[in-house]
Amino acid sequence: MNDKELIGKIKELRSVKPSQDWVSFTKNRILTEEKFGYQEQDASVFSVFRYKLALAPLLGVFVVIGLFGFAQSTIPGDFFFSVKKMTETVQVGLTSIAEKPKVQLQLANRRLEELSRIAESNRTGNLAPAIEEFQASVAEAARDLAAMGNVTSSDQIVLKELIEESRKLSEGKERVESVLGTKIGDTGELETALGSLEKKTAEYLIEDLENRTLSEGYQEKLEEAKENFDAGDYQEALFKLWQIHNH
Amino acid sequence: MSNPAKEFGKIYDKHVEKIYRFVYLKVNSIETAQDLTSEVFLRGWESFKKKGKEIDNMSAFLYQIARNLVTDHYRTKAQAILVSTDSAPTIPDIGTSLEEMAMIHSDVDRIKAVLANIRDEYREVIVWYYLDEFSVPEIAKILNKSEEAVRVLIHRALKALKAELGEV
Repeated sequence: MNDKELIGKIKELRSVKPSQDWVSFTKNRILTEEKFGYQEQDASVFSVFRYKLALAPLLGVFVVIGLFGFAQSTIPGDFFFSVKKMTETVQVGLTSIAEKPKVQLQLANRRLEELSRIAESNRTGNLAPAIEEFQASVAEAARDLAAMGNVTSSDQIVLKELIEESRKLSEGKERVESVLGTKIGDTGELETALGSLEKKTAEYLIEDLENRTLSEGYQEKLEEAKENFDAGDYQEALFKLWQIHNH
Repeated sequence: MSNPAKEFGKIYDKHVEKIYRFVYLKVNSIETAQDLTSEVFLRGWESFKKKGKEIDNMSAFLYQIARNLVTDHYRTKAQAILVSTDSAPTIPDIGTSLEEMAMIHSDVDRIKAVLANIRDEYREVIVWYYLDEFSVPEIAKILNKSEEAVRVLIHRALKALKAELGEV
């Protein structure tokens, strides 16, 4: 490695960054503690009590907000991880049925990131709970995917995002498994549900596009997409169909 | 200062990632880096409230706190009898788990591991010059050295890093 290459590699270390949740929580903790802490100039005992009593409820609110903020940086096996799970459950609850599978996949990816952090920091005590949480999140995503009803034209953007999240999950899972040297779960059910959804979507789009007047180029692409579909490569078919559909 | 908390908040936002990285590349542990970085800014905030605008170079000031805290951290650890997993060597010995070996497989990971083990002043100038993109005069101010001395230090630091990586 010459100097230029070495310097290039050194600069890649810029990717070393703290988690944003920790950054926010720490800033809040440092600056909030000082705002409501004991002021040395005011030495009167009674004024100290009055000061602290008046601010107690507000302090309580900040503690709760701080707790939720702090909980976002926890990982499975940590004491406050349940707080993080609670906020995620609320998030899923507020999501529309169409977007639920995507949100579940995003949560599964989040569990994967946590697993990756555990591997990096060698926190072996958190490994088993983290793998369990990952498997549970994948199962949830598979269930919600399977429950998705008929595909319509308004679902296309959601479906694209779904497939992207799913691809990110597969790649991330392979990476984590190669670092840990062990399988972290079976995503067969998820892949089956996704495959089924891709097939339904491709069928819907083919039918829709066959009823339209297309240019020669797009007509050819449609035929290629149909060939991909017949061969069972629904994802490839979809990418071609979306190109025509979004024209 | 009209609103010291707001002003220090801006200082925090500007420096937190760099200080964290500076600390992490020495201690090689997320938890320890978080603890020490928090302490850097807690102490920085204490000083800022008292001295405020009197602090000529806030960046240099925070780095100085960070350097001192990292030194103290290792002094404390050297006195400890038990060795935690945090202080375990990142260059794996024979029999290291598969996960550790996989973690060291890339060049960048090797550089990270070696950086934690080279001389403090070499690591510091590498971080400041190549990662934080401080100029030579800025580094000279932090270290209280001449600019020429800093240039020599940067050159030697890179050479030492290459030697440790087995690239010489």
